[in-house]
Amino acid sequence: MEAPPVTVMPVTGGTINMMEYLLQGSVLDQALDSLLHRLRGLCDNMEPETFTDHELVYLLKGQQGNPFILRARRSLSHPTAPWHLRYLGQPEVGDKSRHALVRNCVDVATSHSLPEFLNEMGFRMDHEFVANGHIFRKGAMKVVVTKLSRILVPGNTENIERLSLSYLVELSVLAPAGQDTVSEDMRSFAEQLKPLVHLEKIDPSKQRH
Amino acid sequence: MQQREEKQLEASVESLISRVAYVKNALHSFIYKLENEYDRLTWPSVLDNFALLSGQLNTINKLLKNEKTPSYRSQVIIPLLLSPDRDDDLAKLTEQRVPVFSHEIVPDYLRTKPDPEVEEQEKQLSAEAARIGPEVAQKQIQTLNKLCSGLLEKLNNPRDEREAESSALRQNKPSFNPADTNALVGAVAFGKGLSKCRPPGPVAPGLPGQGPLMSGGPTLQQVTIGGGSGQQPSMGGPVSQQQGQPGKMPSSIKTNIKSASGSMHPYNR
Repeated sequence: MEAPPVTVMPVTGGTINMMEYLLQGSVLDQALDSLLHRLRGLCDNMEPETFTDHELVYLLKGQQGNPFILRARRSLSHPTAPWHLRYLGQPEVGDKSRHALVRNCVDVATSHSLPEFLNEMGFRMDHEFVANGHIFRKGAMKVVVTKLSRILVPGNTENIERLSLSYLVELSVLAPAGQDTVSEDMRSFAEQLKPLVHLEKIDPSKQRH
Repeated sequence: MQQREEKQLEASVESLISRVAYVKNALHSFIYKLENEYDRLTWPSVLDNFALLSGQLNTINKLLKNEKTPSYRSQVIIPLLLSPDRDDDLAKLTEQRVPVFSHEIVPDYLRTKPDPEVEEQEKQLSAEAARIGPEVAQKQIQTLNKLCSGLLEKLNNPRDEREAESSALRQNKPSFNPADTNALVGAVAFGKGLSKCRPPGPVAPGLPGQGPLMSGGPTLQQVTIGGGSGQQPSMGGPVSQQQGQPGKMPSSIKTNIKSASGSMHPYNR
């Protein structure tokens, strides 16, 4: 069988490889209000946005070592909005002086049949959690203050219990690969949030054990 | 003697007029700013305007208290001629605010007593003051003085002292907990403490490659051949208890379905 003509070949490539630059920290409940006020002052002037999301993490176990992880997220406050599927790669081991964690990031919006689809593909849900909190924006930078809750009964997002007495604070930027000025901007923004929150590059693989 | 007084009166009235003109100009520009530039106005500049007005009023007060100023109370202004006709000179003098010197404007512009409502309030206040008696009044005065002086002291103290206090307070209340940061990052990154197969809490997680073999209807099954990869067992949940030993027993379910990759593509070209 000859190869089909070039025009019929599936489209591959052509998308920009987006990287996510990330800094994380946390803030205790009692300091949350001062942090929110400071963020409202520092970030772009918009109505404060809150969100309630339910995230499910799916794993595809291969015969090789590392499983393939996909994160599916849906909004509990906007039930008709599309689901959001995200792939995050391994953190890039670049030079140590880079201030933010950099990893490959692919985002797509999907329909509501995502969990069934992933199950049919062979993914298994590893864990799920509910995240709610506030989101702020400054230019290309996004600051998210989240309260994570554990789901006690699988599939039931009403019965949840908080994971800790702190809120997770994440500063992230999605940018094409190779832009190192982004991490400088992130670092100067993070300086402005001290001493309330210390945003730093936390390597997730170091947290495992 | 009278001439001197007259001269003094004239001089003081002139300076009063000029001071009042300053106040009028300041008010005029402030109102203009408030009406036309309100979206660009900042609180410090509004405060500046108020401070300017307050300073000018202060100067007027000082001027009036000045010993060289004769007492205006002894002077009386009597309108000699009231006419309902428009007076152009007057209009020019007052910037078109008073075009006619008539019966309507006299009670407002030549008023010497306060408004009736204000007079009522003043009467009430003086009656109240007379009622409470001198000792009580004295005590109230003393308390007020004490409060004011305490406040002034706090405000006037050098800024360093105050900053030392406030920074000490801030240090005693840390606003974040690094251990919590790690726990939260672990939860988001790989579900530490969240996985449904494990009891809640940061139990040492097995590698996420540990899957329950009897979970509902997958169409592709992967074979974990000989648990020799050293995976830790998971307790509870739907996993069968045969896996109790640390991965020495080969899995009891053997299938010959391999994961769909490579050569088994049905649409092989």
